Amino acid sequence: MDKPSFAVQLDRAVQRALSGRAAKRARLDERLAPLLDIVLRLRDLPRPQFRADLKSDLEKKALAAVRVEALPAGRQTAMPYLTVENAAAAIEFYRRAFGATETMRFEDRGKIGSAELVIENSTLRLADEFPDYGSLGPKALGGSPVKLHLCVADVDAFVERALSQGAKIVRPVEDQFYGDRSAQLADPFGHVWIIATRKQTLSREEMQRRWNKILIQELEKMPGHDPIRKGFRTITPYMVAQDGRALLDFVKRVFGAKESARDVGSAGGLHAEVRIGDSMLMIGGGLPGKEFRATPTTTALHIYVKDTDAAYQRALSAGATSTYAPADMEYGERSAGVTDGAGNYWYIATHKGPRYVPKELNDVNVYLHPLRAEPVIKFLQRAFGGHERARYASPDGIIHHAEVQIGTSMLEMGEAHGSYQPTLTMLYLYVQDADAVYRNAVAAGASSLQEPADQPWGDRTGTVKDPFGTTWNIATHTGGRKPA
Amino acid sequence: MASTPKPSRIQADERGLLEAAQRDPAGFAALYELHFDRVYMFIARRLGKRNVAEDLTADVFQRALANLRNFEWRGVSFEAWLLEIAAHAINDRAKRSGRGLRVEDPPEMGAEPDLSAVEQGAQLFRLVNSLPEDQKRVIVMRFAEQESIRAIARRLERSEGAVKQLQFRGLECLRTKLDPRPARRPGKDAKSRPRGGKNG
Repeated sequence: MDKPSFAVQLDRAVQRALSGRAAKRARLDERLAPLLDIVLRLRDLPRPQFRADLKSDLEKKALAAVRVEALPAGRQTAMPYLTVENAAAAIEFYRRAFGATETMRFEDRGKIGSAELVIENSTLRLADEFPDYGSLGPKALGGSPVKLHLCVADVDAFVERALSQGAKIVRPVEDQFYGDRSAQLADPFGHVWIIATRKQTLSREEMQRRWNKILIQELEKMPGHDPIRKGFRTITPYMVAQDGRALLDFVKRVFGAKESARDVGSAGGLHAEVRIGDSMLMIGGGLPGKEFRATPTTTALHIYVKDTDAAYQRALSAGATSTYAPADMEYGERSAGVTDGAGNYWYIATHKGPRYVPKELNDVNVYLHPLRAEPVIKFLQRAFGGHERARYASPDGIIHHAEVQIGTSMLEMGEAHGSYQPTLTMLYLYVQDADAVYRNAVAAGASSLQEPADQPWGDRTGTVKDPFGTTWNIATHTGGRKPA
Repeated sequence: MASTPKPSRIQADERGLLEAAQRDPAGFAALYELHFDRVYMFIARRLGKRNVAEDLTADVFQRALANLRNFEWRGVSFEAWLLEIAAHAINDRAKRSGRGLRVEDPPEMGAEPDLSAVEQGAQLFRLVNSLPEDQKRVIVMRFAEQESIRAIARRLERSEGAVKQLQFRGLECLRTKLDPRPARRPGKDAKSRPRGGKNG
């Protein structure tokens, strides 16, 4: 069988041909000679990948050509129509400043009734003012709500020429987060033009990411405008008792609360603010000998301490009644329950972990006992942008424990059962925009108790009551003086 | 020579394609498929370097697409128009790059290009596509992609000997298709014939 040696012999000839050396035809077996002609011609065989790539490139270009063809020359579907105080002067300005070409002018009693300008591939129309027809320019109207956007090849050169012809800078040429380099100019007739050159093509996600980063940087630059009062979290429980001072003394004695502010509250009683660990409590209530007009609240708080047993003992000796004695719980906490003299529930707990507080919770956490948790969670999501972080339900659908994060706080809840019944809780909620969140809350089903208004203590606050009995003071810290 | 369609039929088909593409440039792909091999061959046999040939081929088709509307059917075929663009492109390139470009056969404008050589080359390229798949892959890798036998063997997970064998069979097959007359291989053919007869 001599075929394998043919194949080897032939490949030597192929190798010589491919490396550009002359084939030694004479040495080749005569039966291989006709193949050598083919080998020489195959050296020019095109790469299939190149052929396919060029085809797809041409198809794209052909499609783009079709799209342009869909518009009659010089016409776009939407065309700006400007009204200017002196159209003839404006045309002259656009010609010099923007390189516009006038393609049509129609005169009406010495004024320009309509003219057409072409700037690069776009057409725009303009006319003089005709006050009788309600047609007025930006100067007469005190500005224009419409800006014109020009995409140009070189924004810097374009702006320089426009400025030399009398345009004024509204915003200087700058690289923008969305990938353009652009500027805003006002022309002498009051129209504003955005001049832009695309430098980078970005995805919508990338634009949003860049914008969010800028927003955060801006907010960090303005410490005086932190919408959350210094030292506070998104949610602060506001406990109101008939005897406010007794409640204040209780939290100091049992939990070592540090008082940071005390004043006469809006209801004519006590307003105090205390800190427990990383959390704040607001306490309001009547004072001996003074009329007190507010309705007391009841609040359930999940409060972390270093030593549950000791805190439980202090609570009892401060007049609280025991709801359950200290015990190790299956969920990794040692916990005890007490009810204070004002009827508030305290779930005292020590987390068995690296810290006495689990890392997703704070020293003081509000606990709700709604009849049904599901609609409360929905309300928190819709009204305050809450995120459900945990849910423990039994097969019969009862939600025993759920956690909803709102801003920097976690709201806990378990459906009412036995001695755990719905509370009349009041919360102070700090948000970016109190007015917007107030509207959201009302739209989500809360009823308004007070529309947002600037308060003397430096917050803008509105109050709503949700359908489940919780009162929300929705506030944005606006700076100014300390709480009254 | 394998039989080719009569020139008049080519022209009639091509005219339809061309007029469709002039109305809707999306139809240009069909014209591209029809003419790619000849345009590429025309350029490649004048220019030594593959990357230059690819550049110019792309250039020719892009110019053709951009000027499609200007083409008028006046006796000169679309192919002649394309090859004229190609000849211009080769000349432009030679002028621009000066001595950097090796033009083996500088085209003279107005002179009739050697169309039979172009057509034969283009026909050979088309025949490569009609080879059995394994032979075709070896021929394309070896000649179009200029891979070594060793590299091809690795990619196809075959022995080098097997790849050489496939190359041989592929070239042999191309030769047969180009010239279907029986080769002068009496010994082999004579031996195989009776066996076929016995079975049939």
